[in-house]
Amino acid sequence: MTQAISLRLITRQAGGGEIVRTRRIETGEVLIGRAPACDIHLPDLSVDMEHALLRALGQGRISIESLTGEPFQAGGKPALRVELDAANAQVVSFGAYELVFSLGTEDDVVVTVLRKEDDYHPTPGLFSLRAAMFGRRRMAWTLGLAILALCLILPVAGAAWFKNTHIHPDQQWSTGPLSKAHAFLDKDCQACHQKAFVAVRDTACLSCHQSGRDPAVQAASDARVTREGSPFLPLLMSDHAAHAKLTRAMPPPPTITGKVAGVFQMALNHPTDRCASCHREHTTAPPDPNVPKTADVVRPGKPALIVVTDCAGCHSRLKMRLPSTGLIDTPDWNRHPDFRPLVTVGFDGPQPRMQRISVTQHPLEANGLTFSHRVHMSATGGVARQGEVLGAAKGYGAALTCQSCHRPDGGGFKPIEMERDCGSCHSLAFAGGPGNLQTLRHHDMRNILGVLRGSLTPATGPKVDPGVLRRAMAPGGLCVDCHTIRPSGGPFGADISPVHLANRVLPWGDFNHGVAAHAGVGAGSAACADCHKAKTSDKTQDYLIEGIATCKACHGKTEHQTPAFAGAQCSECHSFHQPGEAPRTGQDRLFTVLGLPAGEKPRGLPTLGPQAP
Amino acid sequence: MAAARGKTQRRRTATHESFLRHGRFLFLRAALILCAAAITAYILQKPIPRPSGGTALGYVLGTIGALLIVWLALLGIRKRAITAGHYSLKAWVSAHVYLGLSLIVVATLHTGFQFGWNVHTLAYGLMLLVIVSGAIGVWAYATLPRTLSDNRGETTRKQMLAQIASLDEQILEAAQPLSRQNADIVRLSLEETDLGGGFWRRLLARYGDCANGQALSKIGGALRGASGPEAVALAKVEDLMQRKAEALALARRQMHITAMLEAWLFVHVPATFALLAALTAHIVSVFLYW
Repeated sequence: MTQAISLRLITRQAGGGEIVRTRRIETGEVLIGRAPACDIHLPDLSVDMEHALLRALGQGRISIESLTGEPFQAGGKPALRVELDAANAQVVSFGAYELVFSLGTEDDVVVTVLRKEDDYHPTPGLFSLRAAMFGRRRMAWTLGLAILALCLILPVAGAAWFKNTHIHPDQQWSTGPLSKAHAFLDKDCQACHQKAFVAVRDTACLSCHQSGRDPAVQAASDARVTREGSPFLPLLMSDHAAHAKLTRAMPPPPTITGKVAGVFQMALNHPTDRCASCHREHTTAPPDPNVPKTADVVRPGKPALIVVTDCAGCHSRLKMRLPSTGLIDTPDWNRHPDFRPLVTVGFDGPQPRMQRISVTQHPLEANGLTFSHRVHMSATGGVARQGEVLGAAKGYGAALTCQSCHRPDGGGFKPIEMERDCGSCHSLAFAGGPGNLQTLRHHDMRNILGVLRGSLTPATGPKVDPGVLRRAMAPGGLCVDCHTIRPSGGPFGADISPVHLANRVLPWGDFNHGVAAHAGVGAGSAACADCHKAKTSDKTQDYLIEGIATCKACHGKTEHQTPAFAGAQCSECHSFHQPGEAPRTGQDRLFTVLGLPAGEKPRGLPTLGPQAP
Repeated sequence: MAAARGKTQRRRTATHESFLRHGRFLFLRAALILCAAAITAYILQKPIPRPSGGTALGYVLGTIGALLIVWLALLGIRKRAITAGHYSLKAWVSAHVYLGLSLIVVATLHTGFQFGWNVHTLAYGLMLLVIVSGAIGVWAYATLPRTLSDNRGETTRKQMLAQIASLDEQILEAAQPLSRQNADIVRLSLEETDLGGGFWRRLLARYGDCANGQALSKIGGALRGASGPEAVALAKVEDLMQRKAEALALARRQMHITAMLEAWLFVHVPATFALLAALTAHIVSVFLYW
């Protein structure tokens, strides 16, 4: 017997509530489709006009079969035919409609037809961009916290994590490139920034650049720097003066801004007397190289060495701030005091007595010798003749020149040595007996005395003859030609004065005799005679250094004034970190490198050629 | 008393002025003075070795810039508190706009024109992003509300939506007699039409691939091959879809203008948060590695 089918059509109203319409179909066959004539009319465009046939099979079972070949949904899956047990409350969907089956009370199958609710109800909020984006606030917090985490927390907290990796999160804090010499420290911020919130201290710089250390300590430091990737060994720096003196010598900032800045720097523990106060890193010189107060080494676009307080800053009114100083105020090149060479004025026993005397006071030197430059440099006369006789083979061959005795050595001269520089003419040979020509050992006074006394052979030997010594030291005697003889209470009644020939006479300035402009090479350059009036000097006491006016003939002049024009910066003669020396130029350093023994690495310059490990 | 209050209110109404003109351009003048002072100081300074954030002026400009940024960001809190008087929201907004623009000068001089791939330039870049997006916002607020109002006419946004929903119902009803093939075309319009779309679609008003438009073009072809009740239904559906297209265009124009009016804020606000974070990192890192 065919089971009847009861249809319950439920329509939900917009204002809430439902309208339920029921209908009983006894034939047991129900047509499902969009056509109005269908038993279950589903006005959904995804449903065919006569889409499927529902049959009651008896015993509460039903079948649904597609009539058009278009599927419907049964249990969430597409199907063309299904058989169901109505007692199981199965659901079959056609488009937006659901058919729910159950067993009726009158031995029938009940089909409840429901329309699935559409959850999408557009509101005016749809017009705002918020509808299309995820929230501004969420976006803002996400971005902000991400930047805080990546740019602040990670570099601070992650330093330990990333210690042994190639990632250095704190590199993003670098404000600019490091200079070429320090570029190897680019990934090791804490090599210099050793303490948080404390400006870079000198200890960091001196850990590599300290001079005067024990050689073993220095070697260990050099090895560490090389291991860390430094392209060359660090330059070693000496103090310009004692730190306390430097601090007192520094002038206060000249401007109000500078004074205010100074107060802030003091308050914020950012002192201005550090290495880093002058040596700025992470910055480049501005495009315009004519920036005031910058050193001449500033190159556009390159990390710079900056002179915050220039030489004149301290050396103007220095006496006022540092009364104990022996230095004369030097506000600028035009007011540079005249030279005050260190003059040998006499002897205290064997020790020379030195005194700084301005050349304006015409100092007289008492170096223990009797010597006439005029006689020795005359183009005519006995000395010149002797030079000719000696010949070129012995380094002479003509009248003597400066270099005949003062033999160039780098930027200076080798110390005068009697045997080498005078001995060709002033022979110390004497007849010790027939056919026995002997030579005094000039530097061995004990031996000379012994030989002259007859107590020694030129090598060794006893016996003294005071008469010989007296004759040697008497006017016309052997010694008197060159040596100052002074009265003595000793057995000979006279004594040879000690000799002191100073190799450096200007203790704080440097003068390079080797450069072309100082060696008479090129137009306008200075020859020896321009600064040393030796050819007219008859007396040993003559101090043969001209005043600073000679320097000013070139230094401080323009190219229109002299072809040998030269700079007037203090650094031409005075190095800050090597007091008494001139700053070493790249050329100086290059020559140093070339002159180094194989295997020895230079400081402040890359190694040339293969080096021993 | 009441009369007096009434007069005050009328006076306020009569002297209504935009935030840009507030106080006879008080904050514009303040911003110009700030910029002029910063530029003068920058020119007069003798920076060693070069202009940068690390010179005395660099620190001063940096401090001013940082305080300004924090204060400008506080507008987000201030605008939620409705008050009146000299420190009215309008005054705040006016100061926000002009002092915000002056930051371009103050912060750029603070950098000393030194830029690099680091957290410091990141902060500067984010600041410029915030300022540029803010400037776009000022332009949008000055011009777009009128365009928005003109586009809307007398129709409210709610009515626009209701009209589209109503047309959808009518199309559904009119399409009932259609064959599956043609019904599927109609379903394209009913089920696939995306009214708004994403950020860029709204901002650029790109709706060339609108499902309703596609359905309309297809239904024209279907109509030519149809006859009888099918053709009648198709003609009706086509007419309704045409009306729906017009309703969609109106609503979408409204969304496009609204998007232009609001888009800058989607950059301005998140970039401000990012800027505050980068600024914090900038300041802390500078002093941490002093």
